[in-house]
Amino acid sequence: MGTLVDVMGVISVVAIPGLILLIVVYGLAKKVKIYEAFVEGAKEGFQVGVRIIPFLVAMLVAIGVFRAGGAMDILAAAIAPLTNLIGMPSEVLPMAIMRPLSGSGALGVMSEIFKSHGADSVVGRMVSVMMGSGETTFYVLAVYFGSVSISRTRQAVPAGIVADIVAILMSVWLTHLVWG
Amino acid sequence: MLNYIWFALIVIGVLVAVGSDWHDLSTNKFHNGEEMAVTVRLLGDASAPLLAGSRVPVAIEFPPGALAGRVEPLPDSALVLNARLIPTSGTAANIEIALEDRTPALWREMARSGKKEFLAGSIAWERSDAAGFPARLLLDPVKFTRLNAVTNDGFIRYAKTAVELAIGLIGIMALWLGVMKIAEQSGLVTRIAAMVRPLTTRLFPDVPPDHPAMGAMIMNISANMLGLSNAATPLGLKAMEELNKLNRKVGTATDAMCTFLVINTSSVQLIPATVIALRAAAGSSNPTEILGPVIVATTVNTLVGIVTVKLLARLPYFRRQLSAEAP
Repeated sequence: MGTLVDVMGVISVVAIPGLILLIVVYGLAKKVKIYEAFVEGAKEGFQVGVRIIPFLVAMLVAIGVFRAGGAMDILAAAIAPLTNLIGMPSEVLPMAIMRPLSGSGALGVMSEIFKSHGADSVVGRMVSVMMGSGETTFYVLAVYFGSVSISRTRQAVPAGIVADIVAILMSVWLTHLVWG
Repeated sequence: MLNYIWFALIVIGVLVAVGSDWHDLSTNKFHNGEEMAVTVRLLGDASAPLLAGSRVPVAIEFPPGALAGRVEPLPDSALVLNARLIPTSGTAANIEIALEDRTPALWREMARSGKKEFLAGSIAWERSDAAGFPARLLLDPVKFTRLNAVTNDGFIRYAKTAVELAIGLIGIMALWLGVMKIAEQSGLVTRIAAMVRPLTTRLFPDVPPDHPAMGAMIMNISANMLGLSNAATPLGLKAMEELNKLNRKVGTATDAMCTFLVINTSSVQLIPATVIALRAAAGSSNPTEILGPVIVATTVNTLVGIVTVKLLARLPYFRRQLSAEAP
């Protein structure tokens, strides 16, 4: 695993400068007016940033209210009996709820658990896998759809939630399988 | 569906805050209006008179008896906290108690709720004395901590955060949109799209195989796999813009958009660098041991996500939204 991480580390350092260099060189070779093309494309950056604001405000405010009101603890307590059945310790539950909602919130939950249980405990490993295999679904949803002003999201939300639940279940199951 | 989730987050958030504030009030969690017997010791010039309006540094000593039933855990010996007196008369003062490491957690919460750097209250005594004198301390009442948090940390702070995030994206967006324009005009995006044609035509059957959207989507997914989120988001938004050019119904997501979004929300990142770094910082003996499970879990959930989004797309309910006229 160590070497794989090293190799990926090198790739991710080289990727961005390499890709930009490739595109610029290829563009010049194909006689594109690269400076003019760049500026023309970059012009849209501002509009895209501004266009996602209302979508992001709507999404983040709802998540912020949910977090600040202390609803997490109540929700975790309410569904704990159910999640205990599938082998998910109740300490991990806040992570499962937080992961799709807030990246910083999920990181906070993970750090708390590392502090209280240690990174090499079953609980610590389980939240690590959950953090690594999940994504801040609702943030991505707001930014991506917001950038093209889409508010009717059709099957994207239910499918995204199904994928999130699968990631949580897989994290629980794989943690028990590998380290149980 | 997003309507209901949005509704649920806000309503649950506010109702839980109201419920826990009501609970705090009915159990008098913060012991509002209950006096504590404390000892005041003057720290500065002990012989100087306590003048109204001046600020007098003092140490307040809370005997364990005064704290019983108020704070958890109860300290074994007397708790001593630094404070400032602001005398209002010869025998009474407002008090600002500094927040220190030994300040009980409940009191910190009370100070935070009032958005202050200190714990506020009032104090009264019979007769001051250079060696230390008994006094009655009353902390300012604290109410509605959760509802205040919902207003300040929920509504106001996150509305601000959202704008900061969006503005922060502008520079990096401009960079990648510029670079992508060069790639597009030179025909590179089309070439990349052609290379992965067998895969993309199956994933996105309603997008023409050589459409620029295909190239942008593949570049976004590759950047995501490498964990290059700085590049992945702008490339993803570029792909959405291209996909939107094929959209015949403004404001409604197409099948291709939903599939592309699910690939993004299901996380395709192979190496979770942040998690590994945090594990190492937390003293893990093998920070990268989670890699295997992460790769399996993220592969399975992406595949399930794609199958789900494709199956759901066939439901008449979602088909209708695509064909019906916009309201």
